[in-house]
Amino acid sequence: MSITATNIYKSYGTTTALDDVSVYCKPGEITGVLGLNGAGKSTLFKILLGLISPDSGSIHCEQSHAKPLGGIIEKPALYEYLNARENLRVFGAIQGANVSEKAITGYLERVGLDVNRNDKVGNYSMGMKQRLAIAIALLNDPPFLVLDEPFSGLDPMGVIRLRNLIIELAKEKGIGILVSSHLIDEMIRTCDRIYVINNGKIIREDAPFTLVDKATRSYVLTGASLEKAATLQGGNVIFQGGHVRITDPDPDIGEILMQLGREGFTVYSCIPETDINRLLHDDQ
Amino acid sequence: MMTNNTVLSRTEWFKLFRQSRTWYALGALLLLQVILLLNAWYQGESILNMLLENLKQSFHFQGELLNGHLLVYIVLNTMWFHLPLILMIVVSGMLTTEIETGTLRTVMMTGISRKRFIRSKFLVAVVFTLVTVLLVAITSGVLSYLFFGFGDLFVFHGALNFFESEDAFFRLAMAFVAGAFSMVFFSVCSLLLAVIFRETVKTWIVAAFFLIVCNLLLQMQPGEGWWKSLFFFNLNDTWQLFFQYEIPWEQILINLAMLIGYAVAVSLIGIWWFSKNDIE
Repeated sequence: MSITATNIYKSYGTTTALDDVSVYCKPGEITGVLGLNGAGKSTLFKILLGLISPDSGSIHCEQSHAKPLGGIIEKPALYEYLNARENLRVFGAIQGANVSEKAITGYLERVGLDVNRNDKVGNYSMGMKQRLAIAIALLNDPPFLVLDEPFSGLDPMGVIRLRNLIIELAKEKGIGILVSSHLIDEMIRTCDRIYVINNGKIIREDAPFTLVDKATRSYVLTGASLEKAATLQGGNVIFQGGHVRITDPDPDIGEILMQLGREGFTVYSCIPETDINRLLHDDQ
Repeated sequence: MMTNNTVLSRTEWFKLFRQSRTWYALGALLLLQVILLLNAWYQGESILNMLLENLKQSFHFQGELLNGHLLVYIVLNTMWFHLPLILMIVVSGMLTTEIETGTLRTVMMTGISRKRFIRSKFLVAVVFTLVTVLLVAITSGVLSYLFFGFGDLFVFHGALNFFESEDAFFRLAMAFVAGAFSMVFFSVCSLLLAVIFRETVKTWIVAAFFLIVCNLLLQMQPGEGWWKSLFFFNLNDTWQLFFQYEIPWEQILINLAMLIGYAVAVSLIGIWWFSKNDIE
């Protein structure tokens, strides 16, 4: 049981939007599609959701379900003149979902929205709109979700809340989720498996930790008195306040962290500074 | 999917009346009637006296000539341009707004069939048009008869025609019924234009242009004999035929049947076009 796109081609005039693209997502798995703007992510997701037709290739969803997948494309599109409950009721009625007050309250609670809020959705923040859009996508309990650029336009707290919601839906409810983004850090933190798409072609499929390694030149370490560490003396190391930036670490970052430990220094965080371009121009 | 057409239509109806644009449109139609009545109040009597001075010396008219019937007739004449224009703006907006805000994509992601969705839009457009015409008929009647009372109706239709009060009431009512068919035709045309052009402003411009061209062609009355009625623009003044001395029932029924045919054809083209195209 999975959702699979196989050998998808799509072109607009002389421009090829998707070129022999194949992806799949299993239940409970968070699968990422990472790429720059215009790489073909939205086109692929629109095809998955049946909004546009591919020139060739096939979509297969094994689950025999009234609504095999729900989704959001590009931005949460809601009836801004209605409140959250009315939006759920309208979209729910259209697809024959249970739109009783109890069921709607359940959907709002599921995505962490205030069940007592009655003002128009037009007043909501982007994060709240994203949550409501996910609640709408979850109407009729589809086994798969397709979320196109869900982190765009969100503040840092909104990103964290949304990431937690996506992980909760996948890991606790068993929903298979396909997420697209150009934000490599968010994809690495959120996904179990990531496709990299560039100019309409899937150029890589990896586990997040592999992509971190391939996409990272520099790491920023935070810790107490790190400037005194013998391990960090030498080239490619810049001290910035309480932080240290290490570029092209040699030995690798794992070894450096262990050496710092042996020296008795405590490292509070080690943040890779990823660059998506390193993934796009470095073939497998 | 378990969704039936009634639920879809009810949802469309709910959305239509939750948008302020719809209420602005209905308010504009009401305001238009009030302005026409005020205009008649201030200027109507003197203009009528000037126009009918000679006739009044030769004929006896029952009641005031500036009466409710004449005012309803004046409101009826908004069917040439004002009423269809406002209807086309509201009806085309039912789809273009959904396209521009992206809610159409959200709806289409629910698994609903495109045919069923757009069919419900056409259905609601037709019902909304009929309700609006009924509303205009009722409000114009109530306001006109309340402030100007009853009396004989005179209208210029080829020549000056006079109708006794009761006859005038019947003719006006039937003219609203016939006019509703034209309004439905324009409404479904505007929805077809929305399906094709997809952008609100572009659709409004094309719809207004279409309405103007229809009126120009109606003035020209192209065609002769039986095939003249094949041109839809020649059918849109059918409601005016009720102000001939002898009501040409046969011609009216043929014209209305043709208008229904055109409205159905336009709707079918719109449904086909919407169903075959991608939702970007």
